[in-house]
Amino acid sequence: MVDLATKSLLHDKLRFLITVSGVAFAVTLVFVQVGLFLGLMDNASLTIEHLNADLWITSHDTKNIDFAHTFPETHVKRVRAIPGVASADNLIVWFMNISLPTGSVEGTEVYALEDFTKWNFPWNVTGGNLEDLRRGNYMFLDSSAEHRYGGPFAIGDYREVIGRRLKIIGRSTEAKSFTTTPLTFMNFTLAQSLVPSELRGNTTYILVKLEPGANVEQVKAEIRRRLPYNDVYTGKEWAARSRNYWVESTGLGLNMYLTVFLGCLVGIVVVAQTLYTSTMEHIKEFGTVKAIGGGNADIYSILAKQATIAAVLGFGLGALMAYAMRPLIYKIDLKLVIPTPLFAYVFAGSVVLCLAASMISFRKVASIDPALVFRN
Amino acid sequence: MILEAKEIRKSFTEGKESFDVLRGIDFGVERGEIVSLEGPSGSGKTTFLSILGCILTPTKGDVLIDGEVANAKKLNDIRKRSLGFVFQQFNLFPSLTALENIEYALNVKGIRGREARLEAERVIEAVGLGDRQAFLPRDLSGGQKQRVAIARALAGKAPILLADEPTANLDSVVGTQVLELFRALAKKENRALVIVTHDPKVRAVADRVVKIQDGRLS
Ligand SMILES: Nc1ncnc2c1ncn2[C@@H]1O[C@H](COP(=O)(O)OP(=O)(O)O)[C@@H](O)[C@H]1O
Ligand SMILES: [Mg+2]
Repeated sequence: MVDLATKSLLHDKLRFLITVSGVAFAVTLVFVQVGLFLGLMDNASLTIEHLNADLWITSHDTKNIDFAHTFPETHVKRVRAIPGVASADNLIVWFMNISLPTGSVEGTEVYALEDFTKWNFPWNVTGGNLEDLRRGNYMFLDSSAEHRYGGPFAIGDYREVIGRRLKIIGRSTEAKSFTTTPLTFMNFTLAQSLVPSELRGNTTYILVKLEPGANVEQVKAEIRRRLPYNDVYTGKEWAARSRNYWVESTGLGLNMYLTVFLGCLVGIVVVAQTLYTSTMEHIKEFGTVKAIGGGNADIYSILAKQATIAAVLGFGLGALMAYAMRPLIYKIDLKLVIPTPLFAYVFAGSVVLCLAASMISFRKVASIDPALVFRN
Repeated sequence: MILEAKEIRKSFTEGKESFDVLRGIDFGVERGEIVSLEGPSGSGKTTFLSILGCILTPTKGDVLIDGEVANAKKLNDIRKRSLGFVFQQFNLFPSLTALENIEYALNVKGIRGREARLEAERVIEAVGLGDRQAFLPRDLSGGQKQRVAIARALAGKAPILLADEPTANLDSVVGTQVLELFRALAKKENRALVIVTHDPKVRAVADRVVKIQDGRLS
């Protein structure tokens, strides 16, 4: 079979380039926008996923992990007594001020536990020993602080947190929150003593591990019964709640859908427009196809094939451009998450939308009168 | 009679006005016969050829291919099987090489793969362009383009060849060469050939000359 579709498409190189670029542009836009969104969403529930608690107990109506509120630390004892609970620990998440050597004051998000090792948290320690946190006025700081606070720090440095000199005895990487505030890890009672007005005798969360085979719903119900003024979620539910808060409250979700929609629109318009112009310019050729006995279907298949080629190449180029942008995006402390299903969806979307765009020309093709081959 | 036209009438409507271009034409060609159809510009030659070629349907009358009435429903099938066209403007596909132009036409007619390739090579040799197979139309002269177009019309087994002013875009010497080649090939393969023209050179290659005037043959 002589491949008129491909040869004709490549014959006009400039138009071909415009078509493919149009698709590529749209594909890049979608990948970057959705990838950034997923990256931010990742951060929104990153600590929840890594703490890997079976159940989370929060104060009533807490919106997300970063916006913690207090309740009595003694609640944890009631939880430990519930059948099916293997262990339960208090966790404080609290924003505190940290003074830098430059004299400026920044914010840090403190995660405070009694036993960090038990929860394997932070999960990516690059220096220091988590066991030592309970031994004094010590802290771990995540490496993202270097970029955020505009200067490196070293183990052994001191930082003032709410007026108290704390020694940095270790560091982690990849521990991030949606707010992009760098994370600090310190002992539970140390955190309480830094903010006595609010945290003395209080916690902000209880992390629960269940016994193997425990009935999750039963335990949840029992927790609700014993702690009627708290809420309880599975780890998955809590992660979803934290993410959804940001999606809804910031308009991030809407923004993403809008950009994806615009990306698709731009792609479809460029492809429809160039294919239509191309059809108009090749109308005499299509008339010839009909004159020698070809039907509309022969011409539709040419247009469909051209659209598919533009879609596939445009997708490839667009995906490459998105990947090329990844390091740049990391540089500004954001990340681009492109999971395989997204890849598949965008690919399918490109092909389907390009085919749809090619159909704009179908009506024109159907009306081509083969008699035009005799006209000059 | 491989191709027959009976009582063909054609009128066009433009706005409210309707005017008759063809007013009852009877016509026929045998296999292996070459007919020149002459007439002044605007006399309806192209219209008539389009009807013979099952591209245009007549207002009245019938076209018969090998004795069978061409039915409006299967016109493009008839074109596939029985007809080959040569146009004044050549109408080659600019993105396809000379050989591919022929091969593609065969593909459309349902002949594919190796069979199409061999047939395309046969006819391109026959028109003397074996060494120009891989050229794009833009790299061929007018005469060469028309020879490719003739090869494309010959390719396959279509018994009827129709040409509309095939020499109008060629200079006189080249036009004569093309016409002689066309005649030789049509004769050799026993195809019926109708050439519509107002070029007097065509007479030299025709077995018969008919004239169209005021919508009738004379
Ligand atoms: N599709 C059409 N609609 C209206 N008028 C047409 C159409 N095709 C041809 N005509 C008219 O029919 C007449 C014959 O045209 P044509 O067959 O092209 O003549 P020739 O080929 O002999 O020059 C002309 O007056 C032309 O304007
Ligand atoms: Mg004419």
